[in-house]
Amino acid sequence: MTDKLLVLNDLRKNFGAIEALKGISFSIGKGEVVALLGDNGAGKSTLVKIISGGQQPTSGSMLFEGAEYQAKTPAEAKAAGIETVYQDLSLCTNVDVVGNFFMGREICRKIAGIPFLNERAMEDITSKALASAGTRIPSMRTKVEHLSGGQRQAIELNRFVHWGGKLVLLDEPFAALGVEQTRRGLDMIRHVADQGIGVIIITHIMQQAFQVADRIVVIRHGVVAGDVESSKTSPDAVIQMITGQSLSGAGPEGR
Amino acid sequence: MTPRTRKTLEFVLDNLVWFMLIFVLAIFSALIPNYFQPGIFVNIIEASSVLGVMSIGLALVIITGHMDLSVESVAALSAMAVGILFCSAGIGLGITFSPEWLMIPVSLLVACTIGALIGLFNGFLIVKLKMSAFIITLASFIWVRGIVLAVSGGRSAQDLAPAIRWFAIERFLGIPLSAWIAITCFLVFSILIAKTPFGRHLVMIGGNETATFRAGIRVTRNLIIAFMIAGAIAGLAGWLLAVRTSGATANLGVGLLFNAFAAVVIGGVSLKGGVSALPGVYAGVLLLSSINTAINLMGLPANYTQVIHGLLVLAAVLLDTFKQRLRQRLA
Ligand SMILES: Nc1ncnc2c1ncn2[C@@H]1O[C@H](COP(=O)(O)OP(=O)(O)O)[C@@H](O)[C@H]1O
Ligand SMILES: [Mg+2]
Repeated sequence: MTDKLLVLNDLRKNFGAIEALKGISFSIGKGEVVALLGDNGAGKSTLVKIISGGQQPTSGSMLFEGAEYQAKTPAEAKAAGIETVYQDLSLCTNVDVVGNFFMGREICRKIAGIPFLNERAMEDITSKALASAGTRIPSMRTKVEHLSGGQRQAIELNRFVHWGGKLVLLDEPFAALGVEQTRRGLDMIRHVADQGIGVIIITHIMQQAFQVADRIVVIRHGVVAGDVESSKTSPDAVIQMITGQSLSGAGPEGR
Repeated sequence: MTPRTRKTLEFVLDNLVWFMLIFVLAIFSALIPNYFQPGIFVNIIEASSVLGVMSIGLALVIITGHMDLSVESVAALSAMAVGILFCSAGIGLGITFSPEWLMIPVSLLVACTIGALIGLFNGFLIVKLKMSAFIITLASFIWVRGIVLAVSGGRSAQDLAPAIRWFAIERFLGIPLSAWIAITCFLVFSILIAKTPFGRHLVMIGGNETATFRAGIRVTRNLIIAFMIAGAIAGLAGWLLAVRTSGATANLGVGLLFNAFAAVVIGGVSLKGGVSALPGVYAGVLLLSSINTAINLMGLPANYTQVIHGLLVLAAVLLDTFKQRLRQRLA
């Protein structure tokens, strides 16, 4: 297919004797939302880290926009257009909201050749981005350590929406969110995908997966145990793929 | 609590060490005869220049969540190098240049380069090879002092070239130029930390190194630069030490490390990293210096200084914990 954004080809990852990934192959298209499901320890987070440059695969290859892709650092993945929201949040709680929103991408003004932070410009953009997403944070200058878990997660989510890119990886992004915020987060994902950005979202909640995803990929013990369009399967069938109990009719190989 | 009282309270908490300094100065001025004179205050500022400069480098590394125990020995080595090159008595070689002022930039360059190279060595081992900062810089603390002892043979260099010595004698607004160097360093590095992306990244690395790495910040490079800057500033402190004492002895600057730690902690820089408070560190240095001066004036045996400094560090750590509690309550 020509419009494939990312193709994973037989990715393997060993941690010493542990085989976390035993040959993962699937692909995601532009503007497609793929929900990645699987039990704890199935290898979902490891897979995300390999795509986002945090870890290197033991073997296997990836194609990103048709070209050989292998990020050695998160910086390389970002440069290629891959944004990631990690399961354990990636915020510096000792810095304010603005500092976190612009982490590593600060807007600067050069004075005598020396870059200085343009705090006002960054604050304007941050408060606009957060307000348009309906996130209420009293002051952009509050240190993140003073914010609630939900507010923190909202900052992370808005950060990726703002920076966009071509592919977004979300590792259990709604774990700390309330009902209303989760609904807004799901809307945000659809909105991002409608712009042609590919989204891979890891979640434990079946309902969320069916609500937002075009396709569902199930990983069990480091292998793909199912790859189906969400309109052509059911929560029960997916649960059976996750747990590995096969029932007739719930085709784990369904494509 | 109204927003205004909360703002005031936060302001007081953020600048607590300055209020402590004013408080201590007021108490000493009231209780100790002859304390309240401009001359004494100038003395306090002057006496804190070496320690002040050294504390900046140490603070910079501590902000990133690391540690540099080698700054004191690095300063001593730089001082010894300047002493040997530009002193005319003792083990000094008495090198001179024909426009004499040329000795100023050359001696500064020598002092800072020595420091930066040792900082590079420390940083490389700690950041690239992931060795413990405590152990690596403790080793440097020892071997660098060893080099000082070895090259000097335990002897000293005296009579620094007048062109360099000029910095300790010449005054601007009544304060010696050497003290202005320290003040300038605090200004420059406070701005660097608070207003530039490099400084912001150091603070964020101290807060959550993983997050900064994931955000694409070049953590390794930034950390190694931080160690190099700490070394270079320690070199500058050594240069000031040579200038102030007009030479160098093998045990020059012994004990400065612990005072620098005290100043950094009192100034409000958390040893856990991620908290930048360079102006506070300067206040911490002035506070230590004021207390030393008071001890001198009261004619107490100098040995008490250590006891008081130790208690001050303890008080600072307790205060820091208390401040954090209060902040959480405010948030
Ligand atoms: N850094 C690591 N070192 C050793 N084992 C690891 C490491 N990261 C993950 N694993 C192991 O790899 C497997 C997959 O983990 P993970 O990808 O976190 O699963 P999931 O996100 O699906 O719950 C688990 O058995 C886990 O213990
Ligand atoms: Mg996981």
